[in-house]
Amino acid sequence: MAGEILKATLETLYMVIVSGLLATLFGIPLGVCLYLLSKSVKFRNLYIVLDLIVNVFRSIPFIILVLLLIPVTKNVMGTIIGPNAAIFNLTIAAIPFMGRLSENSFNGIPRGIIDSSDSMGLNRSQLILRVLIPETLPEQIGNVTVLLINLVTYTAIAGAVGAGGLGQLAINYGYYRFQWDVVLYAVIVLVSISQVLQFTGGRLSRFFRR
Amino acid sequence: MTLILAVNNLNLSFEDKTGRRKILDNVSFSVEEGQIVGIVGLSGAGKTSLLRTLNLLQPVDSGEIHFDGKNIVSLREDEIRKMRKKIGVVFQSFNLFRNRTVLQNIAFPLKIQGMDSKSVKKKVLEIAGELGLNHRLRAYPSQLSGGEQQRAAIARALVMDPRMILLDEPTSALDPKTTGRILDLVVELNRRHSMTFIVVTHDMDVIKKTCDKVAYLENGKLEFYGPAHEFFVKIEKNEVRDFGTPLEINGRLAGKEGKLLRVLFWGNRTHEPVMWKVSKELDVSINILYGKIEELKHGPFGAMIISVEGKQQEMFIERLRNSVYSLEEVV
Repeated sequence: MAGEILKATLETLYMVIVSGLLATLFGIPLGVCLYLLSKSVKFRNLYIVLDLIVNVFRSIPFIILVLLLIPVTKNVMGTIIGPNAAIFNLTIAAIPFMGRLSENSFNGIPRGIIDSSDSMGLNRSQLILRVLIPETLPEQIGNVTVLLINLVTYTAIAGAVGAGGLGQLAINYGYYRFQWDVVLYAVIVLVSISQVLQFTGGRLSRFFRR
Repeated sequence: MTLILAVNNLNLSFEDKTGRRKILDNVSFSVEEGQIVGIVGLSGAGKTSLLRTLNLLQPVDSGEIHFDGKNIVSLREDEIRKMRKKIGVVFQSFNLFRNRTVLQNIAFPLKIQGMDSKSVKKKVLEIAGELGLNHRLRAYPSQLSGGEQQRAAIARALVMDPRMILLDEPTSALDPKTTGRILDLVVELNRRHSMTFIVVTHDMDVIKKTCDKVAYLENGKLEFYGPAHEFFVKIEKNEVRDFGTPLEINGRLAGKEGKLLRVLFWGNRTHEPVMWKVSKELDVSINILYGKIEELKHGPFGAMIISVEGKQQEMFIERLRNSVYSLEEVV
């Protein structure tokens, strides 16, 4: 049993870390796009469309999204079960989430900081890489923390439809075979993972806050 | 003197719930290189908007802004970026980057230019030394006092060797002592680097200590633009709405036969006891009802309200008129 729990824990961590990494990698640029488009007059319509897409993806419950994505997942990943298929689903769900979180953080930058960047003659990529990202670094670390903890919960949900990991373990052994101790262990591990993430994220964020 | 800035027929309006609101109404003025110009007026008169148009941080509806020989209103985006590098801006709220040290903040404009780190360091240390920031280079903006933040912001604007610096309310966040030091610094920098400054302010100390010229805005219109002492003349004559004289003048102040005069002095004239001399010679009695003297950048400016009585009072008025900056009868 202990071996199974360890394996499931590693699977969960694998899913959370990989999808978290991918969602951050794509989500922050999405947030940058949302932020810049929302300020632009010329691309107003593009913002409205992108904003809608993000909202739609964020409002679909994860379990439904997994079902809707089955054909896509099958095409892209070659399978619809196992951690790798789940990573695809998790990433698709997490990118808009991360995009919105980081957009909000960019919106929190005082207008004066943007003015002063503009008045120095910064071009767009300098604005993004040297102002937007560094100025929101502590907030973005906080965002990634929230994202990862959400992903822990989501992997458990994905476990219900064959993703593997602690969620599946809890359902297979606990729910279907009435081994409630396994459910308890799975929950304890999930809570511990969230706690460690929250603690580390909080520390890291505070370290970068000036 | 060469013109560094010429603004012609500038118009700006904002759209809001109540409709279109005029912010700048046909504003025209020009600035000679190396001058310090103060922009004054009530809040909402358009001062900050005007300042923001000068490097196109605020796009305009119509009009021309010639800076350094080019009409910047018609520049392409990349040309605007290049133009902005020649204009330093110090904002009211300083706007230092929160996650960068003072050193990194001052170095920032140079770094994005791609200057090598050795030259950056040399330049930053030089400017920081000039502004007395050497001991604070490793601090973050949140650890600085208001005066230090202001100096860091000025340093960041100076580091690019701009032709012109725009200051938005440079003293509004500072205590009187720090204000004095910052103003001395501005005058000193202006003298040493013959850098042009445009200063938005509602602080009379800023105008007195630093400004060569004053632009007075009222409801988006440039109601006055000229030498600083002439602005003080307007203040004394109560022609400027929000800076009016502390004395309400009416006929009761003068004696039955006497006359009420407003006498203005400017420059070295304030040193001479003209009034005393003339009144003694012509045997008229004078009574000083109000008087003040201001130390302006280009010399002292004095204002008096006096009542004069005596047989030769007309003669007195004529004689005095020739030896003061301006004299008029007031009722």
